[in-house]
Amino acid sequence: MKPIFLITSGTVRTPLLLIGSVMQLGQKILTRLLSYKVSFTLIAFVVLLLIFGFLTPRHSFIKPNNLTALAKLTPDLGIVAMGVGTLMICGEFDLSVGSIIPMSSYIFVKLLEWGAPLYVIPFLTLLTGALLGFLNGLLVVRGRIPSFIATLGTMMFWRGVLYISSRMMPIGIRAYLESGTWLEKTLISSIAGVFPVQIIWLLFFTFILGLVVHFHKFGNWIFATGDNKTAARAMGINTDMVKTICFVIVGVLCSFMSMIQALRIESFAATQGIGFELKAIASSVVGGTSLMGGIGSILGIFLGTLTIQILENGMILMGAPVFGINVFIGVGIVLFAILNLYVERVALR
Amino acid sequence: MDSSKLEAGRNDTSPGKRDEDYLVEMVDIHKWFGKVYALRGVNFEVREKEIIGLVGDNGAGKSTLIKILSGFHPADRGEIYFTGKKVHIHNPKDAKKLGIETVYQEQALAPHVSISRNIFMGREPTTHLGFLNKKVMDRESLDTLSKIGLVLTNPETPVEALSGGQRQGVAIARVLYFEAKLVILDEPTIALSVKESRQVMEFIKQLRAEGISVVFITHNIYHVYQIAERFVILAHGEKIGDIKKEDTSVDHLSEIITNGRVA
Repeated sequence: MKPIFLITSGTVRTPLLLIGSVMQLGQKILTRLLSYKVSFTLIAFVVLLLIFGFLTPRHSFIKPNNLTALAKLTPDLGIVAMGVGTLMICGEFDLSVGSIIPMSSYIFVKLLEWGAPLYVIPFLTLLTGALLGFLNGLLVVRGRIPSFIATLGTMMFWRGVLYISSRMMPIGIRAYLESGTWLEKTLISSIAGVFPVQIIWLLFFTFILGLVVHFHKFGNWIFATGDNKTAARAMGINTDMVKTICFVIVGVLCSFMSMIQALRIESFAATQGIGFELKAIASSVVGGTSLMGGIGSILGIFLGTLTIQILENGMILMGAPVFGINVFIGVGIVLFAILNLYVERVALR
Repeated sequence: MDSSKLEAGRNDTSPGKRDEDYLVEMVDIHKWFGKVYALRGVNFEVREKEIIGLVGDNGAGKSTLIKILSGFHPADRGEIYFTGKKVHIHNPKDAKKLGIETVYQEQALAPHVSISRNIFMGREPTTHLGFLNKKVMDRESLDTLSKIGLVLTNPETPVEALSGGQRQGVAIARVLYFEAKLVILDEPTIALSVKESRQVMEFIKQLRAEGISVVFITHNIYHVYQIAERFVILAHGEKIGDIKKEDTSVDHLSEIITNGRVA
């Protein structure tokens, strides 16, 4: 920038100044853009959309049936990622989501099997998630162990419990729940025959958490706790409570999603939720959430989820082996983690 | 506890008389950490609208004394009076209720959070249902900052983007907004450049202009000498000096600290 202004002699002055101010404006916009990491997620999302739109065989990516499938799958990851991302802003991880999901699903299907009244089942299922989340929170704040370890423990523990109690046998729900009940209509029906209602749920949770995280005082406590716990405590914020509530939010969202999933696949499956912990963290990181806590946005996590989801879907359509998709998700996470750090440094200069 | 030791450590000034002029009076404060006798009967007073330099070498007991006053440690013995009334400070909240605020270097702020969100951290003004009143937060932040002479335009700036001096300003503005009567600054200039340190000392002067007493804890006698009106010197858990500015000099003070006694 500066050298341009050094040449200020005579006639060349005006155009150079013009170029200078245009560049300055460009830099301003760039800095502004950089301070919103979300824009990078948006760019990645759009670029992937274009790539898959053009390059998948017979443009299958943008065919209606694929888009419908995406619209049904994305909320699964999105609802969980909303909770996981919020918890990450708060400075903690939850690796146990992959076990909370099938545990809730198991309880949900078992309640159906036992013939519990339909209107209490969702509440009991959500309560299961809340309790499992609360337990995670308790282990972290009372046991004073890193959440990475605490939730690694609960992940293994609950999956073990689940394998023993279910003997890994799937349980179909059709024997206990006729199709077309209000519960199914609320959670997995389609609007106008094509638009899955799950999308509405994802948008609902995004909106609610967006309000809480960015506009409510509790959100300010989340950021403060994740960014500088000592300061938050010194200012009278009960950081243990904030963290525990965030763990409970994760648990409840996992339970909610587990009901959607169980109803969609019409059964409980012991393999439900496997890999979700990492995909949810990946969505958050791609959405600009810091691994150290204190930085992140709900909009970013939302876009991050979409990006991870279409990355997975698009690669499958392009013929990548299903089990090899992780290669690309892995690269995505690392690239975005590096990008986030870089952006932060540039934006603060 | 060894009582003979205790007597030996006792300060000469006799406790008992409560002077209403004092904002804070700490009387005969003792503190042990296990076998370490950290404070040996220290008396410490702060008057209204007074800037005190609390100085002394590492391990002299400065931080311990201040942590007792701000509620982080209980004293093992001794009494604290606030505006002439006996008070019990069990935790930082008690201290805050009295109007005693402590500003610690690097511990006070969340770096990636905005200026206004930092200033109101934990005490956010809300509209209804607990939603943040951002208008009030932003306006009050800038107003309070300008009161201590720090003019910033964007309350949304993350604190990390500020200079070290400005960051101290944000931490100081926070205690000013919440109507502190006594502000304790623990090494506020330790990591700052010369220019930034000067800025922080301007903030401190503004605090006093707002009617607030200040205790300035530091190793840096040159900094504290410029603004403090009185110096309290600690060494090995005892108060070895309590000198008005007009009765001393930078050289004299550093001599006392190095020798561990009044020459």
